[in-house]
This record gives sequence, C-alpha cells and structure tokens, in this order.
Amino acid sequence: MIELFDVTKRFGSETAVDGISLRVERGEFCALVGTSGCGKSTTLRMINRLIEHSAGEIHLDGQPVRNFDEQTLRRRIGYVIQSTGLFPHWTVARNIGLVPRLLKWPRARIQARVEELMTLLGLPMESFADKYPHQLSGGQAQRVGVARALAADPEILLMDEPFGALDPITRDALQEELRDLQSRLHKTIVFVTHDMDEALRLADRLVVMDAGRIVQQGVPLDLVREPADAFVASLLGGDDRGFKEAALTRVGARMLPLSPRLIARARVHREASLRQALAVMFREHADRLTVVDDEDMPVGELSLRRLVGARPHE
Amino acid sequence: MSERALAFGLAAALRHWWLPLVWLGLLLLASLGMAELEAGFRWLEPDSREVIYRRTDFLTLLGRHLLVVGVASLLAGLAGVGAAVLVTRPFGRDFLPLVAQLASMGQTFPPVAVLALAVPVLGFGTLPIIVALVLYGLLPIVRNSLAGLQGIDPAVQEAARGMGMSKGQVLRQVELPLAAPVILAGVRTSVTINIATAALGATVGASNLGDPIISGIVNGNTAYIVQGALPIGLLALTADSAFERLLRHLR
Repeated sequence: MIELFDVTKRFGSETAVDGISLRVERGEFCALVGTSGCGKSTTLRMINRLIEHSAGEIHLDGQPVRNFDEQTLRRRIGYVIQSTGLFPHWTVARNIGLVPRLLKWPRARIQARVEELMTLLGLPMESFADKYPHQLSGGQAQRVGVARALAADPEILLMDEPFGALDPITRDALQEELRDLQSRLHKTIVFVTHDMDEALRLADRLVVMDAGRIVQQGVPLDLVREPADAFVASLLGGDDRGFKEAALTRVGARMLPLSPRLIARARVHREASLRQALAVMFREHADRLTVVDDEDMPVGELSLRRLVGARPHE
Repeated sequence: MSERALAFGLAAALRHWWLPLVWLGLLLLASLGMAELEAGFRWLEPDSREVIYRRTDFLTLLGRHLLVVGVASLLAGLAGVGAAVLVTRPFGRDFLPLVAQLASMGQTFPPVAVLALAVPVLGFGTLPIIVALVLYGLLPIVRNSLAGLQGIDPAVQEAARGMGMSKGQVLRQVELPLAAPVILAGVRTSVTINIATAALGATVGASNLGDPIISGIVNGNTAYIVQGALPIGLLALTADSAFERLLRHLR
C-alpha cells in the first residue's frame, strides 16, 4: 500500500507537485494521467526517492519512505521507464538478473528466476538470454525492462510511460500482456501515462493531475461519466467521451437473453466492449448482434437501442 | 581434445593480434640486430668513424624507454580518469570547467619547457621527463574520459539508480565499462604521443631510445639518429596497433 499525505515538491521557486494526497491499495492498478509537466512523473519518482519530496509524507505499508535506506527501498520496488534503460553492455539474462544479484541471491536461484521471467514475458530463453539490448526490437526491449523490474518479485511496480515509445500495434499487445500479468500477479502498480486510452484500459483507478495538483480521481467509468471539470472532460476525449465509456463496458453486461426472433447474422464476443460491438454494427449495417461465447455459441443478443442504453419510451 | 581447443584458441588470438605482433617482431629484430645493418648505415654516413651506436645496447635503451612511458602513462591514466570521475560526480561538478581547462593547458605547454623548468627542481635524470610526459599526456585521457562518462545515456543511469544500485556500483558496473572504449582511445593517443616525446628525456640525462638521436644530432651522425628513430617509430606502431585491436575487442 502506498500513501501520499499532502506531498509537495519544489524545484527552486517552482512547485512541481503541490500538496497531493493519494492512496494506492495493495494490488491496485493506479494510473496517473495528465499533460506533460503536470507533475505525474515527479510524483512517481518521489515514491522510490529518485526525487526527494520537499514537504508532506510518503508511506509504504505505513512506514515513511525516508525511514528506508535508499538502495534497500528501490530494490523492493520495481521500476520501468519509457526508454527501458537496459544496460547496453549486458546480455538480456544479466539485465534481468540485476536486482536479485544486488540482493545477493544464490546463483542458481537467480538463474531459475531469470528463466521463469523470460518464459512469463514470452522471451524464449534459448533465443534471447545471450542477446544484447541493441539486438532487440522496441517491444522486446520493453518486455526485458518489465522482466527486470519484476525480477526480485517486488510488491510495488512503478511504471513511467513504459509503452510511450512503441508503435501502436506493439503497444496494444504489451498493454494486453500487462493486463494479463496483473490479473495473475496482483502487484501494486503506479502507472504514469498521457495516453488516456491506455489508462482507461489498464487502470482500476484513475488519477488526473494538472499543474501539480490532483484534479479528480476515481474509478475510470465514474470519471468518464462525470468529469469534474472541462479539463478532465477534454482529457477524456471531449465529444468522443461516449466512445471511451463504451470501451469500458463489456457486451455481456448489456446483452439480453436470446429472443425467439431470428438470430442475427452479425456476431460479437461476450467479452468484447460496447465500443467494439458498435463498430461491428456499423460495419455490418446491422442494428442487432448475436452475442457468442468462446466456443462461438450464441448466448444472448444486443440491439442498438440496448447498446446505447436508450430508455424504452424515447 | 583440449590440445585442439588450445590450438584453436591460439589461432583465433593470432588472427586478432597479428598486426601488433608483426610490429613487435620488427621492433625486437631492429633492437637485437642493429649491428647487422652496418653496411646500410655505412652508406648513409660514409665519413664517420663509427656508424653503429654502441654506448648502450638497444634492448636496454628500449627497456628504459618503455619504463618511462609506462610509468608516465600509468600516472596520467590514474590522474586523468580519476579527475574525470570526480568532476562528473554531483559534488565535483563545480570543478568540471577547471579540470577541462587545466588539462588543455597541460598540452599547450611544450614538453621541452616543462623539462627546462623541472630540471632545476628535480635534478637531471628520469624524474623530469616523467613529469613532462604526465602533463603532456593528461589532456587526451581527461578529455576522452569526460566525453565517455558524459556520453552515457541518462536513461541507463536513471535505471541503474532506480534499480537500487549504490553510487559505487553504478560507477564500477555501468559507467566505467560503458565509457571504457572512449577512455581507452584517449589512453591510446596519450601513449603513442608519449613514446615519441620520451626521446626528449635524453637531453636531461634520462637514458632511453632518445640517446642515439641526441648523440647523432650533437655529432652530426645521421646513422645514429636513424638508429634511435627507427625503434621509437616501431614501438609507437606496436603500441598503437595493440590499442586498436584491444578497442576492437571491447566493442
């Protein structure tokens, strides 16, 4: 659990973070979003003391971070940055084993852990262990970055725009993998991004920052439905906000049981989002979809009226 | 089996190091067999009574030359890399411009002038030439060490700190290894320059491969000059090509 109490950071006369309070529960995925220079990265880096806060308190499981020795603290916290920061003179395996080596794990345990992580992140040992970072693609390098951060099995993971430099397809794949990973590992994650879609897709809780302050925080769906002010609304896509909301709701939550009517030809998966369902309707020129499960068996149906949540008498 | 592996390793090493080895071979040949070339030198210098420098044998001169250059380069390397490391730490950053300037001044100062100033203080012999060489060789090492240490990707340093490495670990495991090729390139320049410059030591009584040259200039004996210049040139080529191979090995 991470807690920030009235934390402020000043650089000279400039205030980068202005009295923010925040609580990230154990196992929660918290995204800090906002425009560049809003203080989100500074906030992140104050948690592992790469930047020291000027005022207020930051607690880790109830203990002020200042009570820890800097190195001990950081070895307990996974850290992933946009440009990966992999050591170019070390192999992939050695890069991943960094923190366990700093913690003086026995060699066999490090070896086993590195192998486990490489498998977990889809980097086959035999083809990647001895490669150097410059031989990797952007997506592979960031996978190694995530593996390195997870190496000593830290409870907390700090991620600073980890997928910001990747092409859209790779970014998409890595986001999906991270979601998958998180559903198994349940880390406490603080994730900085300026990509609202990314934040909506991954986070359990959204924290919107502007000019060093928290403007609004809450469950993604609540923010999309009721943005606190014009800034949050525009950050959430302005007029496109409806699509973001649709993207956050699963088809399964809106569908109705199969009616005795003729089954619609166009179909959509139960786990797809309403946004995807809408796209299918648009593409198929249909106002009714059949909802299917993993085996492609019909389990329900979704009409356009139902999808947009129109009230019956309107 | 192990014999074959050994032979294989040896062959690989030979393939990598053949050029410096060739220069080294020529250097040793020249140092040991200078007298065999008497006919050639006689043609160069027909009127002199003696055409082969015999006051000290060439292998001894070569050894002393190497010692002076080695000691000076070691000192310049330690001082240069040390200074560069210090001024790239947070506490030493204020001294960065000063160190960079001092190192540049060291090289604008002619070694001959350093010798002239050093002799009254340190006396004749090996010490003044070592001082001159250290000062003269410092610039390339400091300049390259600074470039190497400052050229490291800030993201790599940030990650190193963020993963929980101590300052010492970051320096030893990340910064120095990454800067090593650039630092070594500076050492290469420094050593090569100093091999030639060390010959000046002969003027202040530091006996080395400069002896035949100075003696040749004083007596008007071109053959002596060549006998000093030839091994110095070969030594410089040996050192330079060895560093070149070492750098290639590192990259």
